[in-house]
Formats: sequence, structure tokens, C-alpha cells
Amino acid sequence: MLGFGLAKGLKYTLKNLTKEKPTYEYPNEPLPLPDRFRGIQKFYPEKCIVCNQCANICPTDCIQLTGKKHPDPNKKGKIIDTYDINFEICILCDLCTEVCPTEAIIMSNNFELAEYSRDELFKNLEWLDENDENIRKVNKA
Amino acid sequence: MLRTEEMLLNVGPQHPSTHGVFRLVLKIDGETIVEAKPVIGYLHRGTEKLAEDLQYTQIIPYTDRMDYVSAMTNNYVICHAVETMMDIKVPERAEYLRVIAMELGRVASHLVWFGTYLLDLGATSPLLYAFREREMIINMLNELSGARLTFNYMRVGGVKWDAPEGWIDKVREFVPYMHEQLKGYHMLVTGNEIFMNRVKGIGTYTKEDALNYSLSGANLRCTGVKWDLRKNEPYSIYDRFDFDVVTRETGDAWARYHVRLDEIEESLKILEQACEQFPAEGEILAKVPKIIKAPKGEAFVRIESPRGEIGCYIASDGKKEPYRLKFRRPSFYNLQILPKLLEGETIANLISILGAVDIILGEVDG
Repeated sequence: MLGFGLAKGLKYTLKNLTKEKPTYEYPNEPLPLPDRFRGIQKFYPEKCIVCNQCANICPTDCIQLTGKKHPDPNKKGKIIDTYDINFEICILCDLCTEVCPTEAIIMSNNFELAEYSRDELFKNLEWLDENDENIRKVNKA
Repeated sequence: MLRTEEMLLNVGPQHPSTHGVFRLVLKIDGETIVEAKPVIGYLHRGTEKLAEDLQYTQIIPYTDRMDYVSAMTNNYVICHAVETMMDIKVPERAEYLRVIAMELGRVASHLVWFGTYLLDLGATSPLLYAFREREMIINMLNELSGARLTFNYMRVGGVKWDAPEGWIDKVREFVPYMHEQLKGYHMLVTGNEIFMNRVKGIGTYTKEDALNYSLSGANLRCTGVKWDLRKNEPYSIYDRFDFDVVTRETGDAWARYHVRLDEIEESLKILEQACEQFPAEGEILAKVPKIIKAPKGEAFVRIESPRGEIGCYIASDGKKEPYRLKFRRPSFYNLQILPKLLEGETIANLISILGAVDIILGEVDG
């Protein structure tokens, strides 16, 4: 009978009217995100040993870093001088945090990156250091 | 009799029903399509060429962006290819995590197809229901891998993360819930007369055509060919699960609709069994060298993605980057039959035929 299928469909719609809402009130309330969520990186300059592994593994070459000699002449090794991530091309793939031996770079749950100008997507060491909210607790499996 | 002239009509590249940036140049006579010429490449990023300068681990996030609706299968195919070349044995727990993740992805992918196809045909509410369930899957995969679509979850020799606490139980609970929702979908859509008139007998092709055009996945199985790589050439641990290969005989859009919806049921069967057999503990990553170097030679592997057979060919000269990498992208092959199907059809059927092919433009363009 023509129209029977339509009526059946309408019944399903009516049945769903009383169901709980599955949507989020996102801009008004923060989105619930799991701890593993890959958002904008947080960088700890004091932990970095300038091993360059993050810059080497990056699939899009968006990390640029330079190191300088340790100011204390008795200590060996380098300390970080500049550290930039270009968020125009960063794909938040998590490989940089995976290879970092000292966990100097880790992911956070922040994902809001919209800016008015392209230049502002170029984040430097200070900015990445200050990005210290909602940081991932467990960093490696 | 009114005299009509042939006219050229551009559909796309910015057309919502082309699911991305797909352009069709139609030569139409009144309402009838005389000739259809697909134009692709608007989303071409050169994944295969880029891969020649990348280490194998670095290629994995690029594969996420090919078939972005079911990125897990793409992750798997590149890892599987490198593992085959290097002869790596993947730990059991990792295999189960991979299968669960891939099957969840398959369900999510078919749900996207179901929702958007009905939307193309003018029904709005199925999309909302389908996306409600898909959101649950996406949230589960987000908990597992840390991203909603671009998972970058698998690694050569295993997976990046172990399942979080209680995650397997969540998947287990999802299976009966999804079965229930599927019944609702059938109630909402399958018996609908308008929908049936839009898809029954539309875009029909024969078994021979399907094989000649090297279609795969639901596009092949809708003609009655029982071919599913999970069954015919079992990879990973698919030989341990009991499931059926869904086929239909008629080869029209209606058959493809049924194959895809029934495939969700089969995936749920696999998920149920995988959760049951899931090992209590174990490694998730095999012992692999830090810098992965595939031995000199070549390999081709193929697996069943929600859209069909996805293959990966690697030619290596023993370095840490591949010498040549090629993906057999099922959407690209499935799309080839489109000009033949559209010839002589009306414009009203165009979207119905194109939608039933289930293309993802990220994959078509590579």
C-alpha cells in the first residue's frame, strides 16, 4: 500500500522525539575531550636537549629549532635557543611527542587555533611554553 | 515537437552532492544526459610522490587524509605492506586492536554513506540519525587514538596506544545498541516508497561490467560476485571470525544500499567476536628498529576497505624512504563506470547514481 512505508518512518521519528539530546552546546560549554586528544603542543624549554628528533620526524617540516651552548661552562650539551612551530602546516600527527626522549614537547587538549592573519599561526618558544592548560597526562603508551 | 539543442552543464566542483570537489561535464539533450565526462584532481596532493621523501612512519599520517572517512584501513594497508616486506610478526593484542578499530571505522563509514546518500535524495532526518551513531564511534576512536578522523593510530609492527580502561566494554555495549538502531533505519528508510522509486532499477550494471571495470567492495558485491578479501584472502586475524559476505543480485542502487547496510551487521558480528576473544594482556608493538628500513625489493598487499579493495605497492631500494609507493585507491576505480551508467539517464537520476558509488574525493584524487 502506498504511504505505509512513509507512516512507518514517521513512527520512528516520533519515537525518537523523546530521546536524550546527543548534541553539545560547544561554544558555550567546553567540548568533552579524552586525555589522548591531540591538540596544540606545549613545550618545556628546560627539558629540551636539542636533539632535533622532533624536527626530523615531522612529516610536514613545520618545526624549526636552534640551540646554543650551555651557559654554564662546566655542563656539556646544548640548550634550546629558538623553537618555532608553523601551525599553517602542522597536522597535529603526534609524531614529535612520540620521538621526544625527554618529553619536552607534549600535546594538549587545546585546539582553537583560528587567527586573523597567517603570520599569527607561526608560534614561537614563548607562546608554546605558555600554552600550559589541559596538558596530556599520559604521554606514551 | 519542440526542437531542443544539446547543452553543456557543469556539475561541481563545488556541488554538495559530489561529496567533495568532483566535477562532471554533462552534455545534455533536454533532460537526458548524452555524455558525461568526469573531471578529477581538484584534491590531488601527490601523496605518492611526497612519500618518496618520507620515512615509513611519516607516511602514515598522509594515508589518514586519503580516505578520510575510514582512515583506519588506510593506516593498516601501509603498515601491512611494510610488515610484509620486513617479515614482522605483529603481536596478538595489537592485531585485535587493529581489527576492532578497522571494523568500527567500517561501520562509521557506511553510516556516513547512508546518511549522505539519503540527504542527496532529499531526506534530511536519516543523516541526523546516522550521524548520532557515528558520533559515538568517532568518540570511541578519539579515546583510543586521540583524533576524530585523522587517527594516525597504527605503526609498523603494531599500534601506538593500548586500549584505555573500559574501552573494550564500551565497544561491546555498542554492538547491541547499533543492532537496535539498524532496525530503526530499516523502519525509517527501507520501506519508504519515495526512496524505493528513486533507487530501484537505477544505475544497473551486470556482473561482467563490474568485473571489466574492476569495481570492488559493495559496488561489486551488489551484482552477485561473492568477493571479500577478508574472506577470500584473509589478512590480519580475519580468519578467526565467523561472518558472511553480503551479496545481492540485481546490481542497482537498491542492491548497493542493502549490501552496505547488511555489511554493518556483519561488521558488528566481527566486533562482537573480537571483543570476546580480546587477549587480557600482551604487547602492542613488535620489536622493530627505530629507523625502519624495508629490505630491497617490492611488495603489494591488498585489503578490504569499506569502499573496496585498497592496495599498497612498495618498491624499496633498502633505504628508509620508499623508492616508489603506490596506492590502489578503490574510489578511483569504482568511479570509472560512472560515464557509462549516466549515458541516457535523466538529470534527476544523476545524484542517485553518483551517490550510490560511494566515492571519497580524497581517495579518488590521491
